[in-house]
Amino acid sequence: MNAVALVKQVPDRNSAFRPAGDWIDESSLGYGINDYDRYAVEAALALKEAGHAAETVAVTAGPADAGQVLRSCLAMGVDRGVHLVTDRAHLADPFFVARALAGAVSGLDAGVVFAGLLAEDSGHGQVGGLVAGLLGFSFASAATGLQFRDGRLEAHRELEGGRIAVVELRLPAVVAVQTGINTPRYASLRGIMASRRKPVERVELAAPADGGGLRRLTLGRPERGASAEILPGSPQEAAAALVPRMRAGAGVSFPGDTA
Amino acid sequence: MSRRVLTLAERSESGVTDASYELIEAASRLAGGPDRVSAVLPVGDASEAEGLREVLPAGELLLVEGPAHASPTADGTAAAVLHAREASGAECVLLPHDPVGWDVAPLVAARLGTAAATAVSALSWRGDGLVARRSAFLGKFVQEVEAPGLPAVATVERGAFPAREPGPALSVRILPSPVGPGDLRSRLVEVRDAGAGGVDLTAADVVVAAGRGLGGPENLDIVHELAAALGGVVGASRAVTDAGWLPHELQIGSSGATVSPKLYVACAISGAIQHLVGMRGSRFVVAINKDPDAPIFGAADVGIVGDALEVIPLVTEAVRDSG
Repeated sequence: MNAVALVKQVPDRNSAFRPAGDWIDESSLGYGINDYDRYAVEAALALKEAGHAAETVAVTAGPADAGQVLRSCLAMGVDRGVHLVTDRAHLADPFFVARALAGAVSGLDAGVVFAGLLAEDSGHGQVGGLVAGLLGFSFASAATGLQFRDGRLEAHRELEGGRIAVVELRLPAVVAVQTGINTPRYASLRGIMASRRKPVERVELAAPADGGGLRRLTLGRPERGASAEILPGSPQEAAAALVPRMRAGAGVSFPGDTA
Repeated sequence: MSRRVLTLAERSESGVTDASYELIEAASRLAGGPDRVSAVLPVGDASEAEGLREVLPAGELLLVEGPAHASPTADGTAAAVLHAREASGAECVLLPHDPVGWDVAPLVAARLGTAAATAVSALSWRGDGLVARRSAFLGKFVQEVEAPGLPAVATVERGAFPAREPGPALSVRILPSPVGPGDLRSRLVEVRDAGAGGVDLTAADVVVAAGRGLGGPENLDIVHELAAALGGVVGASRAVTDAGWLPHELQIGSSGATVSPKLYVACAISGAIQHLVGMRGSRFVVAINKDPDAPIFGAADVGIVGDALEVIPLVTEAVRDSG
């Protein structure tokens, strides 16, 4: 059985995003791998290294240049990639994406499929779960720990209020991982060299049919209910002006206050 | 229009969770009245729900009963929700946007041949579809999406709707579960405390919270110094605890601690909704961030737009000098 990681190409986190129409202005953005997905890749690599998977496979759906995220997975140590080629605009519907990914995963002899908990851009946080639902795999989201015990997979899930649920999953399973579940490795120079010889299978996806799961309508900045008073002046002046406001607003005294 | 809406009710130690009441309020507004709201509660045995009938203010309470639901699992709860949806004829399923909803919503949506609208703060019908307002780009933007077909599935943010007052359900139906324990692919082994580290964030008068914008753990000293000068404790955003800069028990927000101090100082925190739900009960909120468009300024009383690494030590100094 194999370990699969589902990965997504997203705009660089530090870009200056501007809403445009029903999405952002994509004309001058850099792209890279979704941060959450690096943890999914690391989990897949660790599973193989622990002897629980024969091969690691990274799968993405995205435009031609999304092949770069597969290359970065291969450089981290993943054995091979599957690129489901589709227009960036078609990624708007998580159901379309999940159905395409599920189709690819069903041919990969997957034991465990790892996904990031969510994508930094659309943030739907469900593609892994949809793949599990479509394939009839077990599913756990928000995993912060994993353990293989006697051929069973145990996922630690973070609940509210600092509690942890330990869930046993039958295989095959999809696990959506939280950041912090592991420490993703960086690609070594050797890994980068080796990645050039690793195979990436490209599959052209048909355009989505009408209907589907979700459609984008609008994107904008959040409304500000009560907006903050922004303190003017230099950083020194702003810092000095802040202190009396904190005292008055919060009604607290500070340790250095003279009684 | 008289469409029914189904919500998930979750048990807590004292009855049902606050999120359950918020979902019933959201569903009641969407459906046009609480009488058209169905609430599903998966139970191992219907006797466990005794008393809950008096406090769940839905049109009908559907108890999906069977040993598969003695303890909650993703696939078990999803099966119960799907069964109750069919039984009620609901055209929309509302689940909490929390670790339970993250588990259950995609499994339910996949079976209904759709995707869920997640992280939702407002809902309306449009023709034969559902329009949802949700957060995207880690809270930086608000997005409207449409689920063009019904039934639709949505996960609702905590705090987006007020909790409905407890009251009796108009009717109760017990539905035998369609799944047995052997049908389930997952099993809850145990639930345990992650282990608190001795700092009680929720009791502190002053909380100074560190965000990812600080750049790295080597820059946390200035946050600790500010907290010391203010007589407060240090908390953190999810990004910071995930990165291992600070322990997880210091995380503020959904899936972490909810705090309501007299003074809350957000240092280089952008203010994703998941963070805001954990601190919006604070009396006075200060935000320091270099991005003037950061959502945290919408939740703050006073803000300084600037590099937190430069501003925080200046604030610490100003506090010390002011004594």
